[in-house]
Amino acid sequence: MALLRRALAAIGIAGIVAAVLRLRGSGGVPPQAGGWRELSGPDLR
Amino acid sequence: MGTTALVCGAGAVGARAARHLIADESFDSILVADANRKRGAAVAAALGPRAVAVDEPVVEDADLVVVATPSGKQVDLVRHAVAAGRHVVSVADSVPTVQRLLDLDAEAHERGVVVAVGAGFSPGLSCLLACHAASEFDSVEEVHVSKHGTGGPACARQHHAALRSTGLDWRDHAWRRRAPGSGRELSFFPDPIGGADCYRASLPDALLLVPNFPGVERVTARLAATRRDRLTASLPMLRRPHTEGRIGGLRVEVRGRQGSNHQTTVLGAVDRPAVAAGTVAGQVARWIATGQVTHRGALGLAGLVEPLPFLRELARSGVRAAVFEGA
Repeated sequence: MALLRRALAAIGIAGIVAAVLRLRGSGGVPPQAGGWRELSGPDLR
Repeated sequence: MGTTALVCGAGAVGARAARHLIADESFDSILVADANRKRGAAVAAALGPRAVAVDEPVVEDADLVVVATPSGKQVDLVRHAVAAGRHVVSVADSVPTVQRLLDLDAEAHERGVVVAVGAGFSPGLSCLLACHAASEFDSVEEVHVSKHGTGGPACARQHHAALRSTGLDWRDHAWRRRAPGSGRELSFFPDPIGGADCYRASLPDALLLVPNFPGVERVTARLAATRRDRLTASLPMLRRPHTEGRIGGLRVEVRGRQGSNHQTTVLGAVDRPAVAAGTVAGQVARWIATGQVTHRGALGLAGLVEPLPFLRELARSGVRAAVFEGA
């Protein structure tokens, strides 16, 4: 019984850690310079 | 004798495609078919006397078929249209459907018809932006597509399903299966979207792009998703999808060689995905009807149309691309 409880607790903790790792953080650094310009005129010739 | 187009699906994308076609003199009449007959009739009535609502999509009654039904319902209809010798424009955006439509290539060739596969926002406009960016390079090494937002409800459901299905990346000249929700990357879309975390998902863009760039080493596609999207990806959709979708964006990064230099070009677009997808599909249909598409077979837009004149015409219709400069 104790073994089963420990196994369930381990699975629960692993699940919580996995969920936190999956949901937190960000995938990179924003660009420090530059910007978007609409393609027009000469760009589309 | 004029041209008749059959538009199957009168949802957010199909209605826009039909509107684009009716505005053009190349089509004498537009037949509108939708599983929801009331909606089909309402769209046809709004388009004017040249549009007629039909109860069932009879492909033999038209010269060209625009398929804007949910991806899962497209294959049989497209197969039937090809067998009847009709050109097809499909806005399919799921990997299995795109794969099965591309498999019709030999039959479409044999019958001398075009099947434009993935002629929407992404895939579709994404493929055109990749081709346009690639035209600056002597050789293309990598193409990375990121997509933000959804069109109508069917597109939103597909977005939800894509986040729980295995993705396909092209890497080192081979297909690699990728876990959905992995590979987080912060992508910057044109304003007003800005930065959004994007993840691997079951997206068909790479399938359509790879054949057009022989020798390319990496082609990937990612989807912008929130934490809630990822956490609930394996559950049914918790909220009813937005009927028209909201603002969406595309970011296409192409890396390659110019002479001995490595260069990167980033193009993007921002629009309501359903509006942009309908405009792209309508314009492809018009190009096919007016003989501006000479290829035959089943393929994506990257191999079907000249990107520059197509993008120029799209810009006149209000779907504008942008370039990221000065990084």
